[in-house]
Amino acid sequence: MSDLGFSFSLSQLWQIAGGQLILIFAGLILIFVDLWLTTDEESDHVATMGWLTALSFLVALWYLVYREWPLNEVVLAGVFSAEKFSVFVSAVVLVAGIFASLLSIGYMRNNGMFRGEYFVLLLFAVYGTIAMLQAVDLLMIFIALEVMSLSVYTLAAFLKDSRKSQEGALKYFLLGSFGSAFFLFGLALIYGVTGTVNITKIAQILSVGPFEHPVVLVALAMLMAGLFFKMSLVPFHMWAPDVYEGSPSIITAYMATAVKAGAFGVFLKLMSVAFTPILSLSGQPDFQSTVNLAALAVYWKPVLWWLALLTMFVGNLVAVSQQNVKRMLAYSSIAHAGYMALGLLAANSEGRMAVLFYLVVYTIMNFGAFGVLFLIDGKEGKAQTLEDYRGLGYRYPTLSFLMSLFLVSMAGLPPTAGFIGKFYLFAAAIKQGYFLLAALGVMTCVIACYYYLRVIWKFYMEEPAREVVAGNISFTTMGVLICLALGIMYFGILPEGLVRVANVAQQSLAMVF
Amino acid sequence: MATLTHYIILSSILFGIGAIGFVSRRNALILFMSAELMLNSVNLMLVAFSYFRADIAGQVMVIFVFAVAAAEVAVGLAILITLFRHVREVDVTKFNILKW
Repeated sequence: MSDLGFSFSLSQLWQIAGGQLILIFAGLILIFVDLWLTTDEESDHVATMGWLTALSFLVALWYLVYREWPLNEVVLAGVFSAEKFSVFVSAVVLVAGIFASLLSIGYMRNNGMFRGEYFVLLLFAVYGTIAMLQAVDLLMIFIALEVMSLSVYTLAAFLKDSRKSQEGALKYFLLGSFGSAFFLFGLALIYGVTGTVNITKIAQILSVGPFEHPVVLVALAMLMAGLFFKMSLVPFHMWAPDVYEGSPSIITAYMATAVKAGAFGVFLKLMSVAFTPILSLSGQPDFQSTVNLAALAVYWKPVLWWLALLTMFVGNLVAVSQQNVKRMLAYSSIAHAGYMALGLLAANSEGRMAVLFYLVVYTIMNFGAFGVLFLIDGKEGKAQTLEDYRGLGYRYPTLSFLMSLFLVSMAGLPPTAGFIGKFYLFAAAIKQGYFLLAALGVMTCVIACYYYLRVIWKFYMEEPAREVVAGNISFTTMGVLICLALGIMYFGILPEGLVRVANVAQQSLAMVF
Repeated sequence: MATLTHYIILSSILFGIGAIGFVSRRNALILFMSAELMLNSVNLMLVAFSYFRADIAGQVMVIFVFAVAAAEVAVGLAILITLFRHVREVDVTKFNILKW
């Protein structure tokens, strides 16, 4: 039984994978634009590239929202699907890409790093993430995962003169390829047992066949381990703090949000379609014998329970001891992955909705925090410690206010979007009966408040230790930061719209069949 | 006569050797090789499954894995070289300015 006998028309390809095609073409064109574009000022060159990249993302986003979102028939040749779930997460990734490309213009100016290929790599990274989300074929997921990872490894190593950046990138590369080898091993085992790598066919074969076969369980564990590396759940997180600290700040924000969003999206899709428990629990099985498959939940849920707990505790506790704000945010983003794991664990419709909602909110606040961080930094690594942040509230009132807002949202205090997002995640976990885990999770949130609010304390309550000169704040950068701040407030006060959309998105997982 | 089980055991052992090599060795280049060994053990398994199931798809996947492995090495070695310019060392325990 071969899945490789494709039969599809070009128009169908455009319809379902149009967003990806737009990004591929944009990437290929931008390589030549970078080559041929001659400007007097290097910074103009970078600005042009940045805006063109943001424009490509915008076009792809438009295509996804207006063309792919309303689609009813969704699967293309058993390789790609355009159901609302993956369109939603892809849209989050694209929005992250827009923020990243616009903020990168300011970042490059401040650091004197004028490199056009940076934006091309960013395009391909976003392309890889979207292809991975839309894939319904394990092999395609693996290839797209590698396209994404290889672009991001390179971006992480972009500060050539910084040893930290190179060191972080090498660690990321080594552990990343280790993780994807596990994913591939799981893929091979699944192929051996079921004879297919299409996730819907896997589900159908497993539902009638020996789904508790030890080989299936090993394969499940391997596939999960591979994705846990990308999601940076403890104990698969060893690379994360180093890479997040060493990389250019904007890339750090991108890795912490879009790459993670991709991994969470794929995990949800894989678990709800190929290893079905989620669908059967929500009462929407689209094919028979799904109930049999819920048996697999017995195996992966306890593992995820412990990982969620460990991730929340390790992330938050280690963040407390950090003196470097960038590294502190790195640990905090590990902790946020732990909160989102709660939603995966709940695995009901509320849980999936909460994860989608949190991905949006988390993307916004993380980009905001790293956006302010790189501005205060001036030049990468110059002013990243807590001591440097002392008394900045009076010197840079706008930047400090924005940073405080983003940190309050990350801490999960009302009326920001971070509070609403956490509320939905914990509510979903409690509804599914994970009382102890939810209680312990809320406890870690309290720990988290300490280190977030400590930064705000430094801003406003202490005298400056030394002269800190923030980098040049361009109109674009400020505009993006203000949009992010408004987004945080908007989703904090009026979350209903996003909740509704996320709900529609999570229901669509059943359509993949 | 070699059966499917033999191939699965052989490739699992190779994968295990790769994984153990990856966590126990200190030379970054050996780590690369270990990761490659892991990928290639999977290739062996895919070909074996493909052969015994009489399904060509598995062998096609191997080609994709080759391509991915080659791309991975290209990027990995490039990063190692830029790091080597700073550190003059391939021992991963010396890459330690980032910790806790």
